[in-house]
Amino acid sequence: MAWRNLWRNRRRTFLTASALSFGFVAAVLMMGFMNGMMEEMVSNGTEVVTGQIQIHAEAYRPERSIHDTMGGREGLDVGALVAAAEAQNGVAGVAPRLYGGGLVSSGDETVGAVLMGVDPEREPRVSRFASVFVEGGMPGPGEVAVGAALADKIGIAVGDEAVLVAPAADGSTGNDLFGVSGIYRLDLGGFDDSYALLELGTLQDFLAMDRGRIHEVAISVDRVRDADPVAERVAVAVAGLSPDLATEPWSVFLGQLYFVVSLASAMNSVVAFMIFGMAIFGVANTMLLATFERRREFAVARALGTSGVALGRIVVYEGLLLGVVALAAGAALAFPLLAHIRANPIDLSAFVGTYSFMGSAIRPQLTVEYSFQEPLVSAVALLGTGIVSALLPAWRAARLPPADVLADR
Amino acid sequence: MNEHAVRTEDLWKIYPQEPRPVEAVRGVDLVVAPGEFVVMAGPSGSGKTTVLNLLGGLTRPSRGKVWIEGREISALPDKALAQVRLSRIGFVFQSYNLLPVLTALENAEFTLLLQGVPVTERRRRVRRLFREIGLEGLEDRRPPRLSGGEQQRVAVARAVLGEPALVLADEPTANLDSATADALLDVMEQLNRDNGTTFVFSTHDPRVMERASRLVRLVDGRVAEETVSGDAG
Repeated sequence: MAWRNLWRNRRRTFLTASALSFGFVAAVLMMGFMNGMMEEMVSNGTEVVTGQIQIHAEAYRPERSIHDTMGGREGLDVGALVAAAEAQNGVAGVAPRLYGGGLVSSGDETVGAVLMGVDPEREPRVSRFASVFVEGGMPGPGEVAVGAALADKIGIAVGDEAVLVAPAADGSTGNDLFGVSGIYRLDLGGFDDSYALLELGTLQDFLAMDRGRIHEVAISVDRVRDADPVAERVAVAVAGLSPDLATEPWSVFLGQLYFVVSLASAMNSVVAFMIFGMAIFGVANTMLLATFERRREFAVARALGTSGVALGRIVVYEGLLLGVVALAAGAALAFPLLAHIRANPIDLSAFVGTYSFMGSAIRPQLTVEYSFQEPLVSAVALLGTGIVSALLPAWRAARLPPADVLADR
Repeated sequence: MNEHAVRTEDLWKIYPQEPRPVEAVRGVDLVVAPGEFVVMAGPSGSGKTTVLNLLGGLTRPSRGKVWIEGREISALPDKALAQVRLSRIGFVFQSYNLLPVLTALENAEFTLLLQGVPVTERRRRVRRLFREIGLEGLEDRRPPRLSGGEQQRVAVARAVLGEPALVLADEPTANLDSATADALLDVMEQLNRDNGTTFVFSTHDPRVMERASRLVRLVDGRVAEETVSGDAG
């Protein structure tokens, strides 16, 4: 009966359902865009340098002392550590790293820099350094690669030599000449003007450290959103290699970024609430009108013995069915649209250029990311809208006085 | 069986209205025996429809009491009153009041559906009654595709199929031509005779009055006269 009532005024039902469908599409798209932007931020924030998971010695952060290498001053079996992490499901790449602080000089110019020891073979699977060289390439033994801003500051180019000076782990001061293998440009402030990359073994020798001593293992994952469970698996897998290892996903070591993403996720619920909150008033108004037109029928049904609750239930079912119809139409529209935009992101370069936010480069395009959750939240909100919109009309239908209505009073 | 199908005692209905309240029903005492075919007649505004609404529990008396089969219904809560209407009272309205989204068959079986009668039993009872009252073949038509007489017969079927103790009919022939009205009254008389269903009509149609076993005349909300027909059952 509720279903038939729904189609008594097809035009009105079509318009009301269309409004709800549009709300569903808008909510799913808004959430998709928001998720796409957050995914882009997280991807860029973690793919450029940090990776999505990092392993350190527990004591390493936040001071980042040169002595707090994994496995203590004895170090550990780096090959075994990398292999254990790499064997975990969801891991895309693993790269060991060593850090030191020092000076980079050429001629009369000197700047302070972070010296970063990397495995040139493994690093490209975790960070973007290897793909952003404007000149030359990753450093080999006895070489250094520097950011474009740093190179400008001290006036060096590929093929030149730079002097590196740094306090070593044994208390001595390392001091040596390195050939410049390449100049990169990440377009992320700190990395371009104050980082110098060296081959891992070269930096270990320079800082008087054994081959088993590293500060960090950076890990990239197949899907950014799976970083937490993958980190848990990696932590279990590497726990036996040293008792002092701390394995953390990006949500821990990039806490601010995680906060922003969490905030955006909460915003999704607010967006859905606002969209469907507005829809409730429109749909309730339409349903009030529809039930007012049928008040004589309700009075007859009451006269025939239908209880007020049963009558109200029919009206609520109508609201629910309206929601189901709108959901079907909305889903039929929303999912192909999401798939299309995901495959063909909307180019906004005419309006805005690439920008950097919280250490993450954001491209000027709108793309969508979605999971099971957003359409589900929107669907529940839509059906809830249908039901809530029907509550007042249902209450009125349940309470109307049959004799007065039948007498047109 | 109860001694009375319907009994009222000092029944009043007063509508609050400015500048002064309207006394639509004023102290009506009425007793209807099971199986009677009672007609309430009177001019417009005499209170016929209001009395019917009070008997059917569609509105509550301002004063006085109503019993249906010995059970006082005037003070029942809404839910219990709805249950009484569903199980013991059938209604026939002047303007048919069929539900337009339902077919003739579905309209007729509406009370049976509410009573929880299984679908096969509902359909069997509807089809049998439709055969008896000349509605066979019209089961799947919706109200707009039925004539006035057909619609009112469906309404009568709806009123009696739940096997109520009492059928209240408010001006059931008012919108029908003579032949159709006679045919409809034949149907109701037949149901009264064959099933012992009690009918209480409100009307100013002489054709209905002629068939009454008892005629109750209302004037200004009071019973002015009661006449028992010579061939009353």
